[in-house]
Amino acid sequence: PGRIGREFYKKANSPKTKRLVTVCQMYFLDYYCDLFDYVISRRDRIKQVEEILDGLPFQERSLQWNNYVGRERAFLRKKRTKPRNKDFH
Amino acid sequence: MSSFLQSHFNSSAIPTIRSTRTFRRNPDLSPTKFQQDQQQDQQQQQQQAYYQQELHSASSIPGQRQVSSHKEIRQYAEQTLGSGSALAQAVKLPKGEDVNEWLAVHVVNFYNQLNMLYGTVTEFCSPSTCPRMIATQEYEYLWQDPMNRRKPPVSMSAPGYVEALMTWIQGFLDDDSVFPTKMGVPFPRQFPALVRTIMKRLFRVYAHMYCHHFDEINELGLQTHLNTSLKHFVLFCREFQLLSPKDYGPMDELVSRMLDDDGKSK
Ligand SMILES: [Zn+2]
Repeated sequence: PGRIGREFYKKANSPKTKRLVTVCQMYFLDYYCDLFDYVISRRDRIKQVEEILDGLPFQERSLQWNNYVGRERAFLRKKRTKPRNKDFH
Repeated sequence: MSSFLQSHFNSSAIPTIRSTRTFRRNPDLSPTKFQQDQQQDQQQQQQQAYYQQELHSASSIPGQRQVSSHKEIRQYAEQTLGSGSALAQAVKLPKGEDVNEWLAVHVVNFYNQLNMLYGTVTEFCSPSTCPRMIATQEYEYLWQDPMNRRKPPVSMSAPGYVEALMTWIQGFLDDDSVFPTKMGVPFPRQFPALVRTIMKRLFRVYAHMYCHHFDEINELGLQTHLNTSLKHFVLFCREFQLLSPKDYGPMDELVSRMLDDDGKSK
């Protein structure tokens, strides 16, 4: 009851909270930009690869497809393990 | 199999929601799930050979072709922040991708998002405002000390619980045998079960924020971000069947509404 009062606004307007809110907003915007960018470009890459593979003999096709998929996976792992805070100790 | 994983995670003995309605416990792994895991392992082995060759060229994949300008993407993200259909597409496993790799990226993401969101309410969520980790008066989440499973789960303050939870998860993220960083190193066999447990517990942080800090989040102008984050979270959980309806507890209705909305817009 009465959580939103004078006390709340005092804290909400503190430099610390304002900074945290800004950091949070920036984080979300960057994250979703990056996510949609990734989703769209990955879909395009799959399409391109499939078009190219279409003309190849069966065995070559699956070899090349696995090769491509392996590179995508490696990229995803690299993205996940981008330097986190712990790497700066 | 790492010692950290062994000592901190046992999928058959996971705590624990105390609810005044019913006692809730974690379901065991189903046999079908186990089969899926085995198939994944095989697929993983096949992939590895290719994968290792690519150690050095990994960075050359993205940006082969610039789809849209960064500005366009940014506008798109701003517009869709909060809209379900783009997110529903984004959670889908890309063709040919390893499921564990995909789960891992997303666990890191939701962990980061919750860190950010909860971080903004830390001033308003203290042991005195929230002496217990609850979501409505009906649900209390108890903490099981991962180092000592013989101890019964305990009631904690909300900030205490969130801190313990985040530290517990960070332990896995930093453990190379659980969340491998080197190319070609596989995920442990129990990885999907661990992901389900992590996601189940992360959800409780959303539940606490929605049930007890939504007014504040609203006043801070972060409600869109919280909603987007939750929507992304539940869409992801649905896609990979990570949580069951009972795990949503008091949020059950809101969650099913979010999922319904998405169904219509597709
Ligand atoms: Zn609280």
